Amino acid sequence: MNQARAKVPLVLLLFLVVELTVLDRLHVFGAGPDVMLLLAVVAGIVGGPRVGALFGFAAGILLDLFLETPMGLSALVFCLVGYAVGNIQGGVLRAAWWIPVVTTLVASVAGVALYALVATVVGQPHLVTPHLFVVAAVVGIFNALLAPFALRLVRWSISDATGERAYA
Amino acid sequence: MAVYRRSTRHRFLLVLLVLTSITVITVDVRGGGGGAMESIRRGARDAFAPVQSTADDVINPVSDFFGGLFRYGHLKSENARLRRQLNDARGKVNASVNTDRERQELLALQKLTFAGDTPAVAARVVATSPSNFQLTVEIDRGLPAGIQKGMPVVTGAGLVGKVVAVSQERATVLLLTDPAFNVGIRLSGSGDVGVARGNGTRQPLPVDLVDVGTKVSGGEVVVTSGLQGSVFPPDIPVGKVRSSKVQPGSLQHEVSIDPLVDLTRLDFVKVLIWQPKSETP
Repeated sequence: MNQARAKVPLVLLLFLVVELTVLDRLHVFGAGPDVMLLLAVVAGIVGGPRVGALFGFAAGILLDLFLETPMGLSALVFCLVGYAVGNIQGGVLRAAWWIPVVTTLVASVAGVALYALVATVVGQPHLVTPHLFVVAAVVGIFNALLAPFALRLVRWSISDATGERAYA
Repeated sequence: MAVYRRSTRHRFLLVLLVLTSITVITVDVRGGGGGAMESIRRGARDAFAPVQSTADDVINPVSDFFGGLFRYGHLKSENARLRRQLNDARGKVNASVNTDRERQELLALQKLTFAGDTPAVAARVVATSPSNFQLTVEIDRGLPAGIQKGMPVVTGAGLVGKVVAVSQERATVLLLTDPAFNVGIRLSGSGDVGVARGNGTRQPLPVDLVDVGTKVSGGEVVVTSGLQGSVFPPDIPVGKVRSSKVQPGSLQHEVSIDPLVDLTRLDFVKVLIWQPKSETP
């Protein structure tokens, strides 16, 4: 359990470093992948709604530190996405390899849309534009491509905890 | 029963996280982006700065290698094209020495060399925005260099944006193409003023509040107006007029401008140590 607790922050930090240093080089049509959102989605797929919501919240707060949008905005959106994905995916026991990929695609697109929506509600009125469709599509496709790697990392990070998760 | 209890536990956790997020958002928005949230953000960015530098040192050679690999043909043709342009340019330089000297004299006469006497801090762009929804860049200077929130950022070609966040090691610059960016401008030809606002990456900036009667010509240079209470000093070049038209029955001229600076390939910028004289709301 202690080991698992050390591995989760490690994976969170790894994703943060990748998000902040590598991904600004991968922009297509003015948009790039969002691996913090990917982390929330994948945690939901691997660990169910509880793990999804917790990972989403942590990933969102970490990302918010480096954005100019209100603090907590990504945390709110990502924890909702992680929870929703966990709830939907929870029923599938042994999925075919492509199911998580498609789930990631759909959930990422939904996550971007939800982010723009919530941002508008809290007073950031510049996000809902035609460009939003491009961003959602690019994020969805990139995240889907990265999903298999993220799945392995997240599964590894919570591997010890899964045994003790039995009652959770 | 067990299933029911499990899902309520999950829901309780979700509600807890959602309420926490909303509280944090409220505190940040109510505080106007200052206070505790700002110091937390500053701390995080300073702590992350060395990690970022290290990662850049590792990644840059790799991405350059792959970039060169995939764009070999492109680089070759670009090289040929640049050689042609260089030859053309050499000829033009010879022809324009005289006009350039005249221009310099005129500029000096009218004091149009923008922000000539404002102290400035040179900085290097170290990262672009991690978000798909904000057009910002990170620069490698911060509070110790005298940079404050709201200061204008320029290159030799013209306006880049303004500082929106500063920490010890880093400052965040909002680019003028960001939809949240507004700048008061003056048309160099007619002297009429308006407000240009960002419209996204590689999109021209629409200009509001230009009178229907104003004569606007394509390619005309647009500079910051620097009217009283403006957040920018006057006469920083902003862009060139791309198009202008008047819709029948409209009360304003529809003008759009292209930024003078290539904002997708920023490397070095200058932060003008300048603050508005009066407080702006």
